[in-house]
Amino acid sequence: MDALFAVKYSYLIPLLPLAGAAIAGLFGARILRGRSHWPIWLGVGASAVLCLSLLVHMISLWRTGQSQLWATKDFYTWIEAGQFKATAGFFFDPLSAVMLAVVTGVGFLIIVFSAGYMKGEAGYYRFFAYMGLFIFTMTTLVMANNFLLLYLGWEGVGLCSYLLIGYYYQRPAAREAAKKAFLVNRIGDFGFGLGVMLIWKVFHTVSYFGGDGGGVLEMALNPTAQQAAAMRYIPFLLMLGAFGKSAQFPLYVWLPDAMEGPTPVSALIHAATMVTAGVYMIARCSALFVGNQAAMLTVAAVGAFTALLGATIALRQFDLKRVLAYSTISQLGYMFTAVGVLAPVAGMFHLVTHAFFKALLFLCCGVVMHAMAGELDMRKMSGVKRVLPWTNLFILVGCLALSGFPFVSGFFSKDEIIAAALRQSPILGGILLLTAFLTAYYTFRLYFRVFQGPLVIPQPPPAQEHAGHDPAHQHRKHSHESLILMLPLALLAEGAILAGFLNWPKSGLGDFLAASPSIAVATAGAPAAEPGSEPLFTPIMGMSALISLAGIALAYWLHLADRARSDRLAAALGPLTRVLDAKYWVDEIYQMFVVEPLRQLGEVFFLIDQLVLDGLVALVGLVPQLGGFAMKLSTQRGYLQGYAAVMLLGMAVILLMIFVT
Amino acid sequence: MSTLALQHYLAVGGIMFVIGLIGFITRRNLIVMFLCTELMFQAVAINLIAFSRFVGNLAGQTFVIFLLVIAAAEASLALGLVVLLFRQKNTLDADAWRELKG
Repeated sequence: MDALFAVKYSYLIPLLPLAGAAIAGLFGARILRGRSHWPIWLGVGASAVLCLSLLVHMISLWRTGQSQLWATKDFYTWIEAGQFKATAGFFFDPLSAVMLAVVTGVGFLIIVFSAGYMKGEAGYYRFFAYMGLFIFTMTTLVMANNFLLLYLGWEGVGLCSYLLIGYYYQRPAAREAAKKAFLVNRIGDFGFGLGVMLIWKVFHTVSYFGGDGGGVLEMALNPTAQQAAAMRYIPFLLMLGAFGKSAQFPLYVWLPDAMEGPTPVSALIHAATMVTAGVYMIARCSALFVGNQAAMLTVAAVGAFTALLGATIALRQFDLKRVLAYSTISQLGYMFTAVGVLAPVAGMFHLVTHAFFKALLFLCCGVVMHAMAGELDMRKMSGVKRVLPWTNLFILVGCLALSGFPFVSGFFSKDEIIAAALRQSPILGGILLLTAFLTAYYTFRLYFRVFQGPLVIPQPPPAQEHAGHDPAHQHRKHSHESLILMLPLALLAEGAILAGFLNWPKSGLGDFLAASPSIAVATAGAPAAEPGSEPLFTPIMGMSALISLAGIALAYWLHLADRARSDRLAAALGPLTRVLDAKYWVDEIYQMFVVEPLRQLGEVFFLIDQLVLDGLVALVGLVPQLGGFAMKLSTQRGYLQGYAAVMLLGMAVILLMIFVT
Repeated sequence: MSTLALQHYLAVGGIMFVIGLIGFITRRNLIVMFLCTELMFQAVAINLIAFSRFVGNLAGQTFVIFLLVIAAAEASLALGLVVLLFRQKNTLDADAWRELKG
């Protein structure tokens, strides 16, 4: 393992994008300008090549039957204080290799797309510098070999997310969304930070594996009494961080608002990579979670609930990107359910396929948004396939994958999760099946409304046309599908179709991932699937295929065959429609029960500060001021003799003090 | 009481200093006040010379020569200032300048 080229030079994987970001950030404004994407392309591209080579080499090692398929490599001691020691080091196993390949591979495609998409935007270099920084922090998060470095990456991606959501900082909505994302994540990260501290307190190390006396994840399998007691709480604390970062109930509220960022950001950070960090983290820390039934059940239940919640809200959204945002929340719920029911392989499988098809969907939305002059309301457009034939093809692939259409990637991965959930509990499985139906429906509702039907293109007011783009763009009005946009889409679409076959008909990805020490722990405790070889096509697969087709059919019936029918149905289901339109009033509840009390508390503190603290400070200042005033009236009257007498008196006092003591 | 001891010199210096001090505090005339400060100045010089002679060290006397030069320069400056002040108000009373207080 250590001899692998990619392991030896693994420090380049995060550092190359960072170097690219530094170059783009420092020289982009004046020198590079419209070429600012080059350093990022090169940096992320090189790091993607390294990651893929790592994955390929690891697979070939696995094929040859090497028993130990993991390595940990310390580069230097990062922090050493008393007993505490944290290294800057990386950990390699199938889990991190797969995750790295997704992050840098999909990331690279999205960054290529961005160069076409963001062309002519103000702050072009800034966008690419942030993107490079994001890849740096995300790869650090994935490769870290200890909890502290993981935490660094964790906070780093949060920062990049904040910066990129607020990319259009001139828009108040973008600023608010960025702040909201940051603050909500803060709640989760607070728990995560406490978890890391508690881990250090009881395990006296923060390394995952290796090191003196074994790492945390090794000791957790054989805990002492004190460690076992702490392990009752650690998973819940870590989970809080995961729920914040991966937008799970109740901390999901930031993700829909995060759509204020540029679309490639939504695709990369808020669909494909960053938001899956929570799933990755729980899969990585399986050893801490498996022993704790309550924690596992919480993860699974919250995941399933969030899946259903996100899907139901997505039913009544009209903004293309918001539909996809709620869909992302819902799909992340699936992944959490998977890791919660001890099927992290299924969760990671869905993570991989989801990265492909959700990035694809978001980027297609970006193309639509460009062509429709920034319009995202699906009520104002229709039949777009006539204008955007290629995008129509790609988004169809993405929609099929998301809705779980048979033999497209999402079908296999979602099905594995549903099967695992059903083995654990029929309720969880049932919720996920219902969600699958809703997913198919809202996905094709979007597709049928926007891409099929009669052609309707929103006419923007002339002044606002292509706001934010360079004037040259307007002349290329009819080439919305330039090669630089379509090529990444084509590759992603290919991934969205084919990624499913990674784990079907043979459990290839699953067996590979099972070689990871983290995953092996979890799968060992999972209720076994049917003994013997798994059948190619299980009854559950048939059921979910039918459900998906039913959802698509319903969408066709309501949104393509006769669109008025959907409005009539919405009117007939009045109260339900209102609840969904209001998104269950979750934002309002937050406003009323969290934001407002906090604001009022803040105002109380402000008043206390003003009256009590500032009063004390002013009082301290007032005493010498008053004294000075009194002196001025009494002694400083302008008589030279008076001054001389005071001097004399002072000298007398000093002399007395000298001679008397 | 044939020889002059250190105490005699110090007594002269001390008396001169006190006279100057009292004069400075009691008189209002700028020139007189200035003369009083000079008186205190010279009292200190006498002290220095007396000590210098008593310990047999020339440093004190050297110091006094410098002191006298500086006193002369300062006296010319101060008298010039007094003349200017007199021209402003046509009086030498120090209280005429009370408004200079802070």
